[in-house]
Amino acid sequence: MNKQIFVNLPVKDLDKSKAFFTALGYSFNPQFTNDSGACMVIAEGSIYAMLLTEPFFKTFIDKPIVQAKEATEVLVCLSCESRDEVDSLVAKAIAAGGRAPRAPQDHGFMYGHAFEDLDGHIWELAWMNMEAA
Amino acid sequence: MSKQVIFNLPVRDLEKSKAFFASLGFGFNPQVSGDHAAMVVIEEGSIQAMLTTETFFKSLIDKPVVQAKEGNEVIICLMCDSREEVASLVEKAVAAGGRTPHPLEDEGFMVSQGFEDLDGHLWNLVWVNPQASSQ
Repeated sequence: MNKQIFVNLPVKDLDKSKAFFTALGYSFNPQFTNDSGACMVIAEGSIYAMLLTEPFFKTFIDKPIVQAKEATEVLVCLSCESRDEVDSLVAKAIAAGGRAPRAPQDHGFMYGHAFEDLDGHIWELAWMNMEAA
Repeated sequence: MSKQVIFNLPVRDLEKSKAFFASLGFGFNPQVSGDHAAMVVIEEGSIQAMLTTETFFKSLIDKPVVQAKEGNEVIICLMCDSREEVASLVEKAVAAGGRTPHPLEDEGFMVSQGFEDLDGHLWNLVWVNPQASSQ
């Protein structure tokens, strides 16, 4: 079986965060979604994000929760199928209340941009021309 | 092409961090590794972690870099193939200078334990009995 990964991220308002990522086109697995957490499907069978309420996230750690709007521990970078997918996701994220922390980077064979979600977590989006690579 | 995810994580000492993840049994992609970063291959073609020096990581963001030993923004949870794999990875992590923040949780059909790497980033390892999850 392929390795599966779950990125666990704390969120302040689970419903708002679910609405945010739904607006970006992601769906949730209802089997692993309740009032404390929501399982967002990034790639079925391999990549998921678990959006967890801060109190629930806190039960897993013995340190304080970082406020991601103030500081960053991780950049979650997702590959995209095209430049258009990168641009479209960033546009949807901004429309849904996120922000773009920087301008897009265009290296011709590679194109990247990023958005910050409602809680300040940073998602990088990258498209690479596989023929050029 | 399948979706890929890369976790970019800041590290204080790239060489020590590479040694840490190598001792857990992970390989690296030399094509995208250099003085500022090293790519740990978790699942070829789909899941990677990019260990990035703090200085380089800082150049990618407009906020301060979290000191993960003092607080966490993320827990990376990796599904394992067996309960032995969970125990073995945690054991290797502790031997290599990491720590485990909580004892192994055994619910019979599911086993989980986490480790903290040299920089305080949290990795959780979970095995679920495939027969139990289909019931």
